[in-house]
Amino acid sequence: MSEPWGLFWLFLRASLFSTGGTGNLPLIHQELTAQGVADERDFAEALAIGQVSPGPSGLWVVSFGFLIDSWRGGLLALLAILVPPLLVLLIDRLMRRAEAHPAMQGFVRGMMLAGAGAFIPVLATMLHAAGWSLPTLLIVAASVLLARARRVPVIVHLALAAALGILVDLARIG
Amino acid sequence: MAPGLWRLAAIWLGLGLQSFGGGTATMALIRRCAVDEQRWLSEAEFARDWAISQVAPGINLLCLTVLLGWRVRGLRGACVALLGLAAPSGLITIVLTLMYASIRDSALVHAALAGVIPATIGLGLLMTWQMARPPVGASRAQGGAALALALLVLAGSAVLVGIFRVPVLAVLLGGGGVLGLAEWWRAWRGRRR
Repeated sequence: MSEPWGLFWLFLRASLFSTGGTGNLPLIHQELTAQGVADERDFAEALAIGQVSPGPSGLWVVSFGFLIDSWRGGLLALLAILVPPLLVLLIDRLMRRAEAHPAMQGFVRGMMLAGAGAFIPVLATMLHAAGWSLPTLLIVAASVLLARARRVPVIVHLALAAALGILVDLARIG
Repeated sequence: MAPGLWRLAAIWLGLGLQSFGGGTATMALIRRCAVDEQRWLSEAEFARDWAISQVAPGINLLCLTVLLGWRVRGLRGACVALLGLAAPSGLITIVLTLMYASIRDSALVHAALAGVIPATIGLGLLMTWQMARPPVGASRAQGGAALALALLVLAGSAVLVGIFRVPVLAVLLGGGGVLGLAEWWRAWRGRRR
């Protein structure tokens, strides 16, 4: 899978059959962890970098590509996520014709629900890899509350979490 | 008057370079530029384009960028807008990752990650809820049976992917198929009454 074409095809496929910045995550996670090409840390790091870099948070996949295959992986990931959005022009045309059809509305809604559902095991796996300790669970809960308030920029949010991680580590050593 | 391709490229390049702060901040910048400053489209048209972008393949904001570029300068405008927004931010993302990769094995980074990873999980949990809320809300408005089916698709997808390792693509298409059929059935029954 670390062959360039295989990696590009996976990124492209994951992006083609998903919507949103992280909709492609479950498919990439499922395939690359099964093959041992990437682990939970690679995903968590790429997601965090995607949050603090400019542009859509969906650029996490570019960071992920770089982490697993250096410049080649990063550039292939960037190329792969540039192609599917062009299909919105086709969708726009189709939607103008079929957006009122109940089956189409149901199909889109079902895909959105399945996409959200498929995300849950990814988070559960990441949590399992991080360890079910009290500090970890408290940071997860605090992160949800902080993000929900929308008052703190994501970059500050993650910096606070990093500082907290260092403090917990120091307290453990001390 | 619609801007030329070079001007369009410069506008999107500017947006791509200053859009620190995640998707929400980028979206706010794009809206302000397209609706308030450049007046490429109305608020209602922007909302419609955003709705379509949410069901199209790929990153929502890139889909929106393509639609806005298309409105201004056709296909060439769409490509210029897409490259203008994504290329600089993508390259900055790579450079940030490169800088990170050089320190990722230090003890301090490991300690920091023990905080960042759970925070990322928290962000992901909220995002999952935000992704699920609109379709769940729409189903709830249709009644108890529609809501139950929506929740079944949501939970069933998690179980199929997490426990039974069903390919995600199959789960997405299956979820879409189930609700598509249900909506078609509802409409068919409504017509017969």
